Amino acid sequence: MSAPEDGADIVYWPRWRPGGHRVGAHRGRDAGGLGTFRDTVSFLRLPDARRIDIRASLRDPFEGVAVRRFEARSPVETYALIDLSASMRFRGRADRLGLATAFCTALARSATRIGDGFGLMAADAAFREDLYLPATRHRAAATLAAARIGEATCAGASAEGLMEAARRLAGRPKLVFLVSDFRWPEAAITRVLSALALHDVTPVLLADTLEDDGLPAFGLVELDDLEGAGRRLVLLRPSLRRRWRQREVERIETLRRLCTPFARPPFRLADRFDAEALTRHLLTT
Amino acid sequence: MGAPLGSFGVATPWLLWLLPLALLPLLRSATRRTAISAVSAAPADPLSAALSAVLTGAGLLALTGLIVALAGPYRAGESVTRTGIGAQVSMLIDRSGSMNETFAGRQPSGEEESKAAASRRILGAFVGERAHDLFAVTAFSTAPMLVMPMTDRRDAVRAAISAIDRPGLDYTNVARGLGMALSQFGPAAPGVSRALLLVSDGAAVIDPRIQAQLRAEFAKVRPNLYWLFLRTKGSPSIHDKPAGEDTPQAAPERHLDLFFKSLAVPYRAFEAEGAEAVAGAVRQIEALERDPIPYTEIRPRRDLTGYAYAVAALGLLLLVLAKLAEADFLRQGARATGERAAPAGQAGAERRKAA
Repeated sequence: MSAPEDGADIVYWPRWRPGGHRVGAHRGRDAGGLGTFRDTVSFLRLPDARRIDIRASLRDPFEGVAVRRFEARSPVETYALIDLSASMRFRGRADRLGLATAFCTALARSATRIGDGFGLMAADAAFREDLYLPATRHRAAATLAAARIGEATCAGASAEGLMEAARRLAGRPKLVFLVSDFRWPEAAITRVLSALALHDVTPVLLADTLEDDGLPAFGLVELDDLEGAGRRLVLLRPSLRRRWRQREVERIETLRRLCTPFARPPFRLADRFDAEALTRHLLTT
Repeated sequence: MGAPLGSFGVATPWLLWLLPLALLPLLRSATRRTAISAVSAAPADPLSAALSAVLTGAGLLALTGLIVALAGPYRAGESVTRTGIGAQVSMLIDRSGSMNETFAGRQPSGEEESKAAASRRILGAFVGERAHDLFAVTAFSTAPMLVMPMTDRRDAVRAAISAIDRPGLDYTNVARGLGMALSQFGPAAPGVSRALLLVSDGAAVIDPRIQAQLRAEFAKVRPNLYWLFLRTKGSPSIHDKPAGEDTPQAAPERHLDLFFKSLAVPYRAFEAEGAEAVAGAVRQIEALERDPIPYTEIRPRRDLTGYAYAVAALGLLLLVLAKLAEADFLRQGARATGERAAPAGQAGAERRKAA
């Protein structure tokens, strides 16, 4: 089914029990079908003679007839919310937008393979209608939409359009991956996360080791802000590098703190997309 | 010539229209830009901020220096009037044939020194010792010769004096020489001490009509008159009365002296019968002529291009140092990934070869 170069699938485990009548891959809220045993109910409630639980019926002192119920398997919808502000143009060890594309492609593949829907929303200062994909189980369409991210232009100076994306996500809970470098003001992060609080949100922090560990120990660097915050000349030296890295660590810690009330802890996606690492993150948080 | 700013100017002023270019470092910098997702990621650093200001300044300095240097800056020449101790000295030097002889009245031979050579040596020293005097040199024999107008150029005066021992010729016509020497003083300036130094080894009769003219001239110029009489041994002194008739023709020296005395200007005559006596007389004159004198000093036009280039070089040096200290870490990272990719490609090639 999957080509060998596709790499590993992202395995996720929704935090909630999805409802709905469609058959999917996740433990659903409702009972029905041939799944994992859920509970026994009275025959009067579920008059299904094929699933009478004889052992439970005999154990019942009131001589009622018990029927086994099984968990329904339901699909979820996964959405990738991509921040397309200008800082996503950054190219260090890896192309930041390339990383986002790799992630989206893997998620599109992983989701559609198990019958989940994959949707894509991108936003810079405004919501990007051209890249919008409502959740679909159509695998080719999902993969195509994911690939389009790689060719997108990032020009905006903010990611305010994500608020519109959050509005469009209203409804049943969804599995949302918020892909960004989170170079936002803290207030903006909180606003977006609280707008998405209904969903199972996993922030995917795009990082580059060149931006912290890869900094040279000494040298003159003129930093040019991709989002137009101006230029700054910096004389890198061991003490400043230490402070810089300390600051990055603090930034990630702050992001983690901001995410705690609304979302899973952020997943740091640096240099190379590793589906297994994301799987581990999703299954352990 | 550019419009001088004070005493400064530039040779090609239109190049200064390029000066707004010097503001370019405020817009762009020489260092390579590193696009980064957020500048705020870098912690605030006063040293870097100071360095940035310094490098911008260096850029401004380099461009300004280069443009100004190309325009060719200079400080315009000017004359400064100062006051020193000295006098306007007009020298009137006898160039008649007899000056070629020694004090003994012979042609010089061996170690001997002619009167002209001795006076050249001693007057040269006189000129050298007086810092702020103005000198004019006039020579005369039959006709007066304007050697050097009144000037403070010491070298020129010394050169003029060193020329007076060229072989002299003809006779002594002191009257016209005096006239020209007096005319060297130019218009009267208050508080300027003037001295007329006549160096001769003989005298001549002055025509009574010219005497009147000279009298008028002397009365106008009012110089201190010094007569350095280089007396040849055996020739009559200026004080000697002739044995016979006491006419100007018989004793021209004595009558010239009398004429000078009658001029009503401060007058001293020095009778010198040898080089030492001449030197002593000059020393006396030097001691007498010590009055304050305003003199002009000319500062020549000075080319400032070198300084402008030096300023530009300083700025460029700073910029080059900054360039050498530059670290392009994003490119380094890309290269590192490229190297990582390369071995995989080689491995693939080997596999293909094996197959």
